[in-house]
Amino acid sequence: MKKNLQSGSRRAQQGIALLIAIFVLLLISVVAIALLVSSGTETALGANYRSSSTVYYAALAGLEEARGRMLSKNPNYFGPAIVPPGTSLATALPLGQAVYVVNANALITETVAPWDSGNLYFDTEYQSEFGIPASSASWQSVNSVWNNHSTPGPMYKWVRINAVTEQSLYIDVNQDGVYDSSTLLFYDPAHLNSSGNPMPSLIVSSSPPSTAVQALEITALAYLPNGSKKILQYLVAPATINLVLPAALTLDGHSDAFSSPDHSYFRISGNSDGGDSACSSMSYPVPAIGVPDQTPDVNYVISGNPGPGSTGIPVSPNETGNFTGNGPTPNVVQVTLPSNLQTVQSLNQIVQTILQNADAVIAGPATEANLPSAMSYSNPMTVAIQGDPTQVHQGDFHLGTTLSGFGLLLVTGNFTYDTGSNWNGIVLVVGQGIVNANENGGGGTFSGGMLIAQTRDTSGNLLTNLGPASFTNVATPNVGSGIYYNCSWIQAAQAPLTYKILSFHEIPQ
Amino acid sequence: MRHAQHKRSQQGFSLIEMLIAAVIFILLCTTAFGLLSVAQQRYQTESQVLNSFQEARFGLEEIVRDVNGSGFPPQSMFSFTPTVPPANLYAVTPVAWSPNYPNNPCQIGTAGGGTCTNSPGDFDLIIERDVDPWRHDGVEWTRYQLANNILSRAQSYKVVGGDPATTTGAFFVPYVQNVMNNTTPAQIAQFHAIYPNMFPGGNPVPIFSYTCYTPYGPQPCISAGSYNSPQYVTDVDITLIVMAPTVDAQSHQVRLVELHGRGHSLNQIQ
Repeated sequence: MKKNLQSGSRRAQQGIALLIAIFVLLLISVVAIALLVSSGTETALGANYRSSSTVYYAALAGLEEARGRMLSKNPNYFGPAIVPPGTSLATALPLGQAVYVVNANALITETVAPWDSGNLYFDTEYQSEFGIPASSASWQSVNSVWNNHSTPGPMYKWVRINAVTEQSLYIDVNQDGVYDSSTLLFYDPAHLNSSGNPMPSLIVSSSPPSTAVQALEITALAYLPNGSKKILQYLVAPATINLVLPAALTLDGHSDAFSSPDHSYFRISGNSDGGDSACSSMSYPVPAIGVPDQTPDVNYVISGNPGPGSTGIPVSPNETGNFTGNGPTPNVVQVTLPSNLQTVQSLNQIVQTILQNADAVIAGPATEANLPSAMSYSNPMTVAIQGDPTQVHQGDFHLGTTLSGFGLLLVTGNFTYDTGSNWNGIVLVVGQGIVNANENGGGGTFSGGMLIAQTRDTSGNLLTNLGPASFTNVATPNVGSGIYYNCSWIQAAQAPLTYKILSFHEIPQ
Repeated sequence: MRHAQHKRSQQGFSLIEMLIAAVIFILLCTTAFGLLSVAQQRYQTESQVLNSFQEARFGLEEIVRDVNGSGFPPQSMFSFTPTVPPANLYAVTPVAWSPNYPNNPCQIGTAGGGTCTNSPGDFDLIIERDVDPWRHDGVEWTRYQLANNILSRAQSYKVVGGDPATTTGAFFVPYVQNVMNNTTPAQIAQFHAIYPNMFPGGNPVPIFSYTCYTPYGPQPCISAGSYNSPQYVTDVDITLIVMAPTVDAQSHQVRLVELHGRGHSLNQIQ
């Protein structure tokens, strides 16, 4: 009986448990479904926003990859055969050629062929710009740094680099009422408007001036697996400082100071020291030393040289053209400086451009040990030594003998070089404008060109007019080999600093 | 014995048992529905906040992209000498201004400073660019303005000789609702009390703050000296503070979302 009672009671409780269990399950299900619905909505909203942002910035990443790789100092440089530097008509990318940077995704094994009308990523934009399908263009392709990479990068599919005309941009640049489809567009930073005022702009010209550089178009397509797609476009032009050095050593100022050693090893030569094959059109010799004034500077320089009667700066048969008069007087010539080297303002502008775009800006005082280690014969670099101009000697640089420099060196303070040191390229000493030689080792050579200009007083304030530039080499017994004009090194030191963005816009899909 | 057992099994539950079961069941239900109701309230509030957040995010993204494309096409795309006043063929500036457009650029200020009395300002921005270059219909003005807690957007053609603020003034459409950057001092004080990190100093928060080009590197326009001009604007920082339309169902406090973005004009004017 007792047993039965217990058994009956248990059976009754079992019913209650079932009921409770069913209700609790029901409640939990309702809550779970509510949660699922809400998180589902969030996911959809988030995904939509994400794809529209991703596709935009992916296209931008493509533009930036191409813009970066057009620079010779980029480790993934395209090379001049693929995208020429475009710093003159001779090095311009011709019309009708399209360079594609393709970026296929390794995870889905796809083919990216914007020149193939059957490809998913066919470049339809080309036809709207040039009136012919991309499949008829003369194209070449380069892989993106992300192409078939094990970890896919930004999801742009291709980037196109090409020359432009008024017709392709659909902009009447010169407002002559005609959309020219055959003349290349250049960008001229020195362009003047009809009133003679500077107005840097695009120009339509079949014989562009030497200051003009080619305007190139970069177009990027980004495409997401969900079908989102975006085309962005840059118009870029190489930014160069465009230095035309008139002499091996240019003392850019008034009442310049010059003193050279009394030794036959030391030369300042308007003839190349050899290896100048890149400048076949260059007519040597150029003046050894250039100054802007006949009086008093030519005489100052001549008197700073030990002059006739001593060994002085030597005459050698193949350098006769560099020297005036009889005997060992260096060829000091009054030169007409390009407009960007004439005033404190224009020189300061060059300094600012270099500081903004240099490969390395080194806080002075510094020595050759502070130079970037990547600098080499095949990789000339742009290096600026900068300090607070109001603090004396903060922009100073001492070039020692432990390594040779290649490229463009800007020193804003005093420049001291050891007589055994070498530099290939351009040396600009603009700021304090003082160069001194320090006797340490022999045989060091500056191959390229040197320009000295004083634009600031000793307190660091910009001068109204250029002050006296100063070059002193009284080192002895080792004097160094001096300065040789070298057109190839001057060009190599002036590779485009960057590709400046002239314009940017989205192309709607 | 068997009879007694059979009878008992048909007896069902006693009243006491039923009552206890019912009480337990009601207690469980109350708890469960209480939880469900809390979850429901949370869900409603969060989806409101999410909606505001989403709306603000789209708004912000659009402004950022408009600023990125501002100033297209720049004057440097044309080699001819511009006429005065400039035609609407190209953008003379990334950011248009009022008054005295286009001949005398004003100075950008904040909190009522500067000489750009209409635009650009903390709560007003007019972007100049050709939205649809392929149409050859000239440059457009796109304007964003905050008024009565509604951020409105207007777009119109650039009118040669016209004032950007007056021209765009006729085309406003509401864009983002409940933007609280410049609400009443009482509300700002209330928000500041709940969210001490928002509205620093209890002051309105500018939607737009501007960075100008200078030869010495970019500077906030208000401290850029002679380069403080809408023509030299390179970057626009955008801060949107958006309130959810209803208060939090549990705490009964307002919910705010603060979003930041930065647009950078890639079209150089210099």
